[in-house]
Amino acid sequence: MAAVQVNIQLKKKEAIMAITDMSELVQNGLDRAVELMAVAAHNSYRFGNRNTIKLISVGREEMDEIAEFSYSLGDMSPLAARDGRFMKELVKEPCALLLVGDSRKSDLNFNCGACGYRTCAELNRAEEVESLTARGPSCQFKNLNLNIAVNAAASMAWKLGLHCRVFSTLAMAAFALNIIEGVDLVASVSVSVARVDPYFDRHKYWTREYWDEIFEKEFPTFTRGFIGAIE
Amino acid sequence: MSIERSIKQFQDDRMEAVRIAARLLLASGTTTPRVGGVGECTIHILDDPRDIEDLCQSVEAMAGEKDSWQTFKRDAAMLRDSDAVLVITSLRSLTDPADINCNMCGKLTCEYYRESEILPSEPGVAFTGPLCAFRANNIAYALDGVINQARTLGIDYGVFWSAGAAAMRMKIVPRDTGFAVAVAISVTEKSPFRDIPLRYDEMNDRTMNDRIIQRLWPQFRSIYS
Repeated sequence: MAAVQVNIQLKKKEAIMAITDMSELVQNGLDRAVELMAVAAHNSYRFGNRNTIKLISVGREEMDEIAEFSYSLGDMSPLAARDGRFMKELVKEPCALLLVGDSRKSDLNFNCGACGYRTCAELNRAEEVESLTARGPSCQFKNLNLNIAVNAAASMAWKLGLHCRVFSTLAMAAFALNIIEGVDLVASVSVSVARVDPYFDRHKYWTREYWDEIFEKEFPTFTRGFIGAIE
Repeated sequence: MSIERSIKQFQDDRMEAVRIAARLLLASGTTTPRVGGVGECTIHILDDPRDIEDLCQSVEAMAGEKDSWQTFKRDAAMLRDSDAVLVITSLRSLTDPADINCNMCGKLTCEYYRESEILPSEPGVAFTGPLCAFRANNIAYALDGVINQARTLGIDYGVFWSAGAAAMRMKIVPRDTGFAVAVAISVTEKSPFRDIPLRYDEMNDRTMNDRIIQRLWPQFRSIYS
């Protein structure tokens, strides 16, 4: 009996003195945060009172795959390449990627014309157009429902103090790679608990010389007084 | 309810809270993300009851244009009960596609989109699509920014695409507006946007008041006095 009591006391002491490492706390917190973001997205406002969104969170392996694919689109889309290269750096610290998708056809019967067809029935009958980024044509209000869910997730991340950015590029890469299936439209929310906010002011990628060169190329008239002033 | 001074004060303060809240909602909706970081959404506050009534008339007028728009009458009844309306617009979705070639509109490239025929502006067409879906999605962000702030502040809200379309028809939003939705807000003890019975356009606070108080009571009073 006494031995058992000593054992219990020892266990209690262990529990009181247990130290959880910061990285473990942060990782566990991130996992909970992603779940809460999913709840916020799942329960967000939507037109037509229909919850048809699909939502998944992907792991390190998929994120690597998405990053690699996005980066490889360099010539086709500088924006995707930028985000792919960025994602390669991002995954070195704890982060998560939430992919949200929805179907393109309308079951809302608003018949509003925003998609370019007079009625929802016409849109649903229209020929489907495949591409790497999305399947169209799509119902504008389905698009809104999807992106409201995305914004709700991002808003939850903001409230929880996570670093966060919404990416179309990474979502479209995931779509192209069939990482998220059974949907026609996609968007993604990336969150991170890196030591500094990795999403904005990413100056480390741009040297002064490179920036000046690109700026000069894209905005030649900025430094030119009038046409022909500088040869 | 009685008309004590303190109750009058409460009613005035309630309306002031609406005006302040509407502007805070506008702030939150404005600062939400935009795809590609390109600004294109504007938010317009209607907090004058006369402006809201004009909007309601326009929404009601649209109800007759299509069978599937019959619910617009209910929308108008709810909008009449609201204290302010925020109209959120997208200024680039019709005139300036994003050049992303995303295919969400069903045209493989933005060049094809530019060449495509848009719907004529006529009865039965709320938005003259096709719209650049990539651009118009910004409305979703602005809208959720407004909703989120309303929830944080504890303001009742309702979302009405009918009122967005009506505002475009009334030309009270910027000229380039391709797409618009409206958020009505209310600072009242019972949200006018929840628990909406069937035939709400016929049976609501105003019609009940009109038939029971304004019509029956004066007769009753003149007979029995």
